[in-house]
Order: sequence, then structure tokens, then C-alpha cells
Amino acid sequence: MRRWAGLVVGMVLVALISSCAGPNSGTFGEDVVQGLATTSPAPPVTTVPSVPVRQGPAPARAAVQPVRLAIPAIGLTARVVPAGVDGNGEFSVPPSVDEVGWYRFGAGLGEPAGSVVVGGHVDDARSGPGAFYRLGDLVAGDQVSVVGEDGTTRAFRVVAKEQVPKKGLDLTPYFSAEGSARLTLFTCGGQFDGAARSYVDNVIVTAVPSG
Amino acid sequence: MSSRLIRIASVAAVVVASTAGIASPAFAQQASQVSVVHGIPGQPVDVYVNGKKTVENFQPSTVAGPLELAAGTYDVALTKPGEAVTSALLQNKSLAVPAGKNLSVAAHLDAAGKPVLTAFANDTAMIAAGKARLVVRHLAAAPAVDVRAGGKPVFSALTNPNEVKADLPVGTVNADVVLAGTSTVAIGPKDVGLKAGTSTIVYAVGSAEGKTLGLAAQTISGLAGAPTGMPAGRGPVSDGLGSIFLLVLAGVALGGFAFVTRRVVRRGSR
Repeated sequence: MRRWAGLVVGMVLVALISSCAGPNSGTFGEDVVQGLATTSPAPPVTTVPSVPVRQGPAPARAAVQPVRLAIPAIGLTARVVPAGVDGNGEFSVPPSVDEVGWYRFGAGLGEPAGSVVVGGHVDDARSGPGAFYRLGDLVAGDQVSVVGEDGTTRAFRVVAKEQVPKKGLDLTPYFSAEGSARLTLFTCGGQFDGAARSYVDNVIVTAVPSG
Repeated sequence: MSSRLIRIASVAAVVVASTAGIASPAFAQQASQVSVVHGIPGQPVDVYVNGKKTVENFQPSTVAGPLELAAGTYDVALTKPGEAVTSALLQNKSLAVPAGKNLSVAAHLDAAGKPVLTAFANDTAMIAAGKARLVVRHLAAAPAVDVRAGGKPVFSALTNPNEVKADLPVGTVNADVVLAGTSTVAIGPKDVGLKAGTSTIVYAVGSAEGKTLGLAAQTISGLAGAPTGMPAGRGPVSDGLGSIFLLVLAGVALGGFAFVTRRVVRRGSR
């Protein structure tokens, strides 16, 4: 009976903690993220053996748009919609908490380089937990699968999870279309600043192609 | 004690010296990216850099490169294909290449129709998220022009050998070039795709008199600025209606706890 009481109190505590601080905090793989953002799949050649000649404007890149995201480890499947930036230059997270947004100005699926960025709400005061509510629970090696508009499913493996204060955070390495091909998942975490209606941290998960 | 201090000091000095020794040449070696633009109609060329053939049979209205050139002074020469570098059509024996820049060297006609070489420093400043840079360079034997997008002038009174530029929303721009202040189309219209984080440099080349006006273009990518923030949470449930739910939950739990405790206490008293 005493055990039951402890369990109930524990559940309440978990509910209270997770609703204001997001689920798991803690960080791993920051060095991996740095490496992925800076290492290019084909390093530039310093000598000049042959010079490419281009005719007219460069052809447009065929970026495959992700349409569906699944992370079995946290029981997540979500629709992916294209997302840009708002008037302040901030990422336009899809308003529906059940959908996540693919950064349409960055890399798409199947490209040899760059970060495919997907951002989604952790929660909403009215709608409740968002698609990425449990993003912070992911651990190294967890599988992420992304279906593209071409119908192809691409598999990724989690290599890093970071929880970093938004203040002063430079998103450039996470959004860069350069560096190794990778998938970067964004949500919010940490304390909720009620006055600013905003969380103080971003939770960022980085995954690399595993197939 | 003092000898140990001296030893530490000398080790530190060696470390500092060797670090400096490694750092300074690496800094000096930062190469520049140099593209070559062919804007002279009707004459394919070979391009020589410091006497070495670097681009062969380079066709008009194309862009070669970028070459990675260390900072310094270079001898750039253009010849008719297969001809000796000593009989160059155009030559700049002292093209200055600074360290760590992005340059475009264009062979083109000046306003009077004479072939010249002009070097441009390309703007590689980061571009705000969702925008693209458009640069237009007038390198044609033609009078001042306006550049229009969707029929509306965006740049006006551009003269040879100058450039205009702007960071624009991503998308496709239907652009044409008209004689300044008129709607007489000189070049185009042409759809120009502006991709996020890239700089598209369009060169107006050729000769109005020779009816050889046209465009050459190059793109520089990797200039994408990231969004300024990721607002991916609009408050926990507890911050809105959900707080009532949590209070109820907490109340139930406390009630349960009290009930259980009473039971436990009663059992203990038996």
C-alpha cells in the first residue's frame, strides 16, 4: 500500500516536471555535430589540375521534400510540411502541434551534403503535447525514418542530442547546406518563460544516414 | 626550484614559438577563389595563368572555375585557341589577388567595344534566411541600361563596367534588360532562379552594335544565413487550461495518499 502511494506521488511529480521542463534533459555528441557541420564529403582541391567550365546559370538542385517522419523509440509518426521563416527571420514552426516543418531553404533528402532540418513544437498550452514532445528522450543509436515525396524511405541513426540555451545560440551550423549529409531535429526545452511565452532552451537531435 | 621555473619557461617559449611558426604561414596561405568569365562574343580562347594553360578552348558566355589561387600577383593571358602565349589577345601581367577573397575576372568589351579584362570582388557576406543575392554586371558594348524583374525596374542606369546588387526573396525572377529610361528590351526576358543562400551573378555581355548582346552567369553557394530562432513551443499544458487538469490530478493524488496513509496507519495500530 505504501508502494502505491509512492507511485501516485511519483506520477504526479513526473507530470509536473515534464510539463514545465520538457522530458529528459542532458546532452551527448556535441563534438560529432561540430564535425558533421565542418567536414565536407568532398574536400576542395587546392591545386588546379582541371578547371570546370559552366554554361549559363547553374541547374536548380533537386531537393526531395520529406513528407513523413517516424521515430519508433518514442512512438512518433508525424506529417512533415514545408516551412520557411517568419517576418523576424525565425523558423516558422507549423501551427498544428501534430505536424513538423521541414526547412525548405535548406538541404532536402537524398542530397550529398548538408543538414535536412525538421522543427516541431514540444507542446502548446491549448493543444497539449506536440509531435516532438519526447524528442529529448532519444539516445544514441535510435532509428529515425523519413519518407520523401519521391516515396523513398531513408533511415537515420541518432548520434547527438543537445539542450542549449536559445539566447546567443548560432543556428548556422545546424542549418548549413554544407558539411556531411545529416538530419537535424529541433524542438524546445528547459524552463518556460511565461512572460515571453517561450522556452529558454532548444533541444537539438542530430542523426546521420544509416542505410 | 628556480631551475624548474626556468625549464617551464623555456618549454613555454618553445611552444609559443612553434605555434606561431605554424600559424603564420597557414594564415598567409588562405587562397582566394577566382572565376574567369568569358564575355567577348565570337572568339573562343585559351586562358593562361602565369604562363601555364589553365582553361582550353573557353567558349563565350561561359564561366570557368573557381580556381584556388594563393594571394599574390598573377599574369593572366587570353590567346586564340592553340596560339602561343606570346601572341595574347588580352593580358594582365599583374592581376592582384588578395588573400581569402572571391573574385571574378571578366574578359569583355568596354562601352566603346574594345576588349578588356576587369576584376570584380564578389560579395560573400551571409544572406538572411529565405533570401538570395542577385548581382548584375554590365560588361557589354552598350549604353546605360535598366534591369527589370517582372516588367518593373529594379536597377536603373547601370553602366559598363559597373555592378548592382540586392538580396531578394527566394524564387524565380523573370528578368530583362532595357535601355535606360525606356522599355526597349536589349536582353531577355529570361527566368532567373534565385535559390536560398546563393548569389547569382548575371553578366550582360556582347555588343549592341554587333547585335551580340547576351548573358553569362555564375552562382556562389554556401552563403545561407540560418533562421534567427527556433520557437518550437508555445507553453506547457500546465501554463494554460492544463493547469486545472494538473491541480485536479494533484488533488486526487493527495486524497489518495491521505486515504492510503490512513489505511496504513490503521493497519499498523491493529
